Amino acid sequence: MNVLPLVLYAAAGVAYAIHFARRHPQAGRIATTLLIFAALAHTFVIGMQTMEVRHVPFANPSRAVSTFVWLLALSYLYLESTTDERAMGVFIMPILTGLQTIPALSPGIERMDPVLDSPWFWVHVSSLLFAYASFALAGVLGLTYVVQFKEIKKKHLGYFYTRLPSLQTLDVMNSRAVTVGWLFLTVGVAVGAIWTAQARVLAPNDPNLQAMSLNDPKVLIAVITWGVYSFAVLARQTMGWTGRRAAWLSALGFAIVLLNFLPINYFVTTSHTF
Amino acid sequence: MHLFLLGVSHRTASVDLRERLDFSSRDVGAASEALAARSSAAESVVLSTCNRSEIYIASGDPARARDELVAFLSDYHQLPRDVFLPHLFVHDDVEAARHLFRVAAGLDSLVVGEPQILGQVKDAFQAAAERHCTGPLLSKTFHWAFGVGKRVRNETALGEGAVSVSFAAVALARKIFGRLHGRRVLLVGAGEISALTAQHLRSHGVAEIVITSRTPAHADALAAEVAGHTVPWAEMRQAMARADIVLTATGSQRPIISRQDVEAATGRRRAEPLFIIDVAVPRDVDPAVTEIEQVFLYNVDDLRGIVQENLARRGAEIAHAEAIVAEELSRFTAWQRSRRAIPTVVALRQRFDDIRRAELQRLEIRLSSLSPEARARVDEVTRLIVEKLLLEPTEQLKALPDEETQAAYTEAVSRLFRLGDGEAAEPADDETEATPADRRRE
Repeated sequence: MNVLPLVLYAAAGVAYAIHFARRHPQAGRIATTLLIFAALAHTFVIGMQTMEVRHVPFANPSRAVSTFVWLLALSYLYLESTTDERAMGVFIMPILTGLQTIPALSPGIERMDPVLDSPWFWVHVSSLLFAYASFALAGVLGLTYVVQFKEIKKKHLGYFYTRLPSLQTLDVMNSRAVTVGWLFLTVGVAVGAIWTAQARVLAPNDPNLQAMSLNDPKVLIAVITWGVYSFAVLARQTMGWTGRRAAWLSALGFAIVLLNFLPINYFVTTSHTF
Repeated sequence: MHLFLLGVSHRTASVDLRERLDFSSRDVGAASEALAARSSAAESVVLSTCNRSEIYIASGDPARARDELVAFLSDYHQLPRDVFLPHLFVHDDVEAARHLFRVAAGLDSLVVGEPQILGQVKDAFQAAAERHCTGPLLSKTFHWAFGVGKRVRNETALGEGAVSVSFAAVALARKIFGRLHGRRVLLVGAGEISALTAQHLRSHGVAEIVITSRTPAHADALAAEVAGHTVPWAEMRQAMARADIVLTATGSQRPIISRQDVEAATGRRRAEPLFIIDVAVPRDVDPAVTEIEQVFLYNVDDLRGIVQENLARRGAEIAHAEAIVAEELSRFTAWQRSRRAIPTVVALRQRFDDIRRAELQRLEIRLSSLSPEARARVDEVTRLIVEKLLLEPTEQLKALPDEETQAAYTEAVSRLFRLGDGEAAEPADDETEATPADRRRE
């Protein structure tokens, strides 16, 4: 079921690459159209899975990745439609395509631990996934900012100079993505903490709940992520950390997010089964 | 009807001669009209920019038109013809169209790919059209040329990248700040490049232009020119702290802006970028300034380097643009060929219709017993038969691949149907549209 969106994301990626390299407006419009169809197909897939298991499917790693990809695609489409700027597509599509291969190859079985069956869980996970999607956008914006900055600073106006939006635009978009992401991350972490406390009262003997503390790498890294992004938001407001510093911070932040999302999900045993 | 072009351009004539043959200082529409009034040409458009004065006409007799145009140029500009005759270039038909297409594409410009020429070609056509000096041939040719210009602009990078120092500076500013609305500019020292750059920045919507100079009179003069205001030389650092873009162009022999000066300024401005353009020689700004985070420093050599690169890049796009011109030109000539078949087609139709009418006339007595509806029906049916019979031959005649074949076919058709005999022997050039000369006569 996740294969159709994967194919469409890949096709959109090719079209965005052609648009970026040749700067052909027609290719850009085709790319956006393909991405819209990919997002629609993905919406359908997620909708079907929701009907099937009666909640948004993210109680296993593959399905969580799929939902994350879907949210990132929607966020990117929002960004593109509000800024009329397609240059970022070529950087976002590989992330979408790459991550979407995981659910496409191993769909995973959605099995819901009864302890998870709570609206808190829904708010917790969807907030965090949306935050991570925003951070992915911010990370890409940050990296392109650094590339563009370097070309202008070194007076070597090359390939990217003619294709990327202005530094100011990249910086503003980055700032928005980080702020929105940080808000959702805060909500997600706070809800997680409150809900763990509540669940412990309800099910005092659940081993997963007992293990949910800062000793759990997943929780620890989530808190570190929150720290990094809180600093990014704060430093921009009070210390003038805009531009290249902010760009590097958002790239670093997203690297941590990815670390938390992929290797830890799959290779490290944690209290979070996703 | 032939397309004919005569003119001078930067390739054939000096600035001095171009100025003396310039139409643009006066009304080009009026020039087209004056030309139409005295020449045999059915249509005319005068294109005049600082790099060219060209007259496009549609005429049945190009040789006569040429003499008339030379006489017109000589009278209109009050110049003896010997002065400009050696510098004139003359093209007809396909070559005239090719020239116009290349002009509209920016391929014939002094700076290849400069963007204004397409607008100037459109204006020239518009001015002539308003005075009813254009007709079907020039209208089609010019609109085709607009299309060529647009295609070259959209499909090639011929017009991309700034090709002057001041435009390169503005392009960089836009790459750093995005829109320049609300940005503040400081000009240190007054010079030609700073004035030009300031005007470009102003046209991009900068909020404020502040000028400071060691010689207050220079600052005042520049302030008046670019709608800015001045601050005393001693307040340069404070002004820099407020600025987003600083342009220096003093005659100082030693750097006047040090790293400390800029650090003091950026410290106060938090982390907004500062773009410093140093067009002075020797340089006004210490090169170490570039090490400061968020400061972008470009000197005049850097900007010239960008201009050179852009020019080279445009050069690489010329072949692409020429290919578009060639492609459009072959389509255009195909259209012209199809148009040349029109007199024959008209004559052929006339011939068939005459036969049809004659036969209906002959049957008049027998048909008179029919009801009016039935007679109308007979008329309609016979007309449709003639039209259907002629449809395919007409299309084929219009679509013939080259002129010789077309001449042979036209000849054959004329002979087979004896088109030379009747009154439709020399049909009007165009079946529907009247030429401007006709309109004026009416």
